Amino acid sequence: MAVIYRVNMSDLSVRAEEPQDGRKELGGRGLTSMLVADEVPATCHPLSAENKLVIAPGILTGTGAPCSGRLSAGAKSPLTGTIKESNSGGQGGLALAALGIQAIVLEGKPADRRLYRLVVNADGLRIEPADDLAGLGNYDAVARHFEEYGDKIACLSIGQAGEMQTPAASIAVTDVEGRPTRHCGRGGLGAVMGSKRVKAIVVDPAGGKRTQPADAEAFRAAVKKFADCLKKHPLTGQTLPKYGTNALANVINEAGGYPTRNFSDGRFEGTEPISGERQHDVIVERGGVIAHACHRGCTIKCSRIYMDAKGEYLTKGPEYETIWAHGADCGIDDLDAIARMDRLDDDFGLDTIETGATIAVAMEAGIIPFGDAEAAIGLLKEVGKGTPLGRLVASGAEVLGKAYGVARVPTVKGQSMPAYDPRAIQGIGVTYATSTMGADHTAGYSIAANVLGVGGKVDPLRPEGQLELSRNLQIATATIDATGLCLFVAFAMLDDPAAMEAVCELLGGLYGRKFTADDYLAMGKRILAWERRFNSAAGFGPADDRLPDFFKTEKLAPHGAMFSVPDEELDQLFSFVE
Amino acid sequence: MNKVKVNLYASLRGHVGGAPSVEVAVEPGRTAAEVLSGLGVPVEQIRILFINGRAATMSDPLKDGDSVGVFPAIGGG
Repeated sequence: MAVIYRVNMSDLSVRAEEPQDGRKELGGRGLTSMLVADEVPATCHPLSAENKLVIAPGILTGTGAPCSGRLSAGAKSPLTGTIKESNSGGQGGLALAALGIQAIVLEGKPADRRLYRLVVNADGLRIEPADDLAGLGNYDAVARHFEEYGDKIACLSIGQAGEMQTPAASIAVTDVEGRPTRHCGRGGLGAVMGSKRVKAIVVDPAGGKRTQPADAEAFRAAVKKFADCLKKHPLTGQTLPKYGTNALANVINEAGGYPTRNFSDGRFEGTEPISGERQHDVIVERGGVIAHACHRGCTIKCSRIYMDAKGEYLTKGPEYETIWAHGADCGIDDLDAIARMDRLDDDFGLDTIETGATIAVAMEAGIIPFGDAEAAIGLLKEVGKGTPLGRLVASGAEVLGKAYGVARVPTVKGQSMPAYDPRAIQGIGVTYATSTMGADHTAGYSIAANVLGVGGKVDPLRPEGQLELSRNLQIATATIDATGLCLFVAFAMLDDPAAMEAVCELLGGLYGRKFTADDYLAMGKRILAWERRFNSAAGFGPADDRLPDFFKTEKLAPHGAMFSVPDEELDQLFSFVE
Repeated sequence: MNKVKVNLYASLRGHVGGAPSVEVAVEPGRTAAEVLSGLGVPVEQIRILFINGRAATMSDPLKDGDSVGVFPAIGGG
């Protein structure tokens, strides 16, 4: 029987709740956004007792469906002030689902400044004091728990950034090897966890079991069909396992949309040494791992393990976004230096996209020079020291930009743009501007049709067709985010009707009734409607659904591109929401 | 003769001995398809094609100074 744990950090009480009818079939982003939109006052301060942090595995998590282990976290975001959902790979979702936990909701906040941890197992959930964990990076914090509880656990944790409650703080989730390398990265949810004084959530799935679908036979057939589709598609079956997410670097650079030196150029002369191709060779040469699954049951296996020059473990991946943010955006072409920064980000518990973008703005401000990798590492280390400068670095590009008088700050609703320049790839520009999440790429990944030729072709340099592309993807993605499926399955779903059918058949088999493509879209629309309503109540309006002006006026080399989708069109994106 | 630069990526590099980039002399009016198969790149493996950073098709003609970028099926995050 599914349970929602209400963890009241004001009086340190725990209540187990059976999900009400309207919530039984929800999961992931569907559940987090519904609960946050219903129960969190939209005007509250994100670090106050009135905010709630909802942690929820996806609808399919724990069922054995391929690539279904993702975990969602949601709250009002300290970075954007909007509703926020941020999801992560790793083992956290699976561990919670095994115990039949539909969500853990952190509410209230302790009156004192003590730290706590939650211990979750087949007996229930208890709150324990954890002052001994104070000030630890995620790697140390997590290692202690694996020592204490064995290696079958999953651990969610915050590092120094979350403890400082800075807006770019992430929630780390342990991977298959038990390292804190996967994160609910975007939007500062680690700060919300820190505001409730929860340092770690240890989940021991022992004694738990797989979620049973209502129609086991139909479900089994859908699993096989879906697995076949994923294997067949060249992206999910070959490119992603071999090169990982950073296969994108050369494509986006070739397309002229690879944001370089704080979005001042669309191509980086140092792309080759930080490309997916080079990363693959370095990893293989040094005895690292490619084609690695971040959670058990993933068949795509896009992650990897990166060793340093001595052949010792350094970090995972790093991922495309991380390499871009600490690489091209900073003018840095040293992959090892970037990997060291990824390790620091994971340890301090920081969103790597936001942090790289913040370092780039720091470079624009003249704090350190563009291209100076050692200086960038030094700046990042300030976070671990907890200095005022470190707090600024951990607070995101917009805050640091304001403190240093920078006019060119690439954010929307306070969140930094990811690794695609919206002038050269206008479809992603529409998503950046309109998404309820702020400047977000996964929310409506227009890159697929704009650049990759997946799910159609829409010219990235022209304004036509971008609105519909972004809208359709935002709707479909909201549903994927609710299922616990990794977003990369979308590559197969966009190209192969059988893959889309298989996902509907998985949901249908789980629920025990027919689940159609219309149901699929309706779920996504419902989720976006809740999020829009929350943002509206929080004070957001059309003026917030815009890119910074300089994207409309400053030409981007090599194409001389500018973002030109009209404002009136952007205001139509959510026309399906009453 | 026109000079054209061809940038090959990911698994396509294997067809030109691992080189990331080759410069080729081509007769005026040759198409991308002709130049690429001339290099030994199986055109059915090419999923993404850029000419001077813009999406192009295999039948597009190449001119002097063009830069061609070819990829197999690529995606990521």
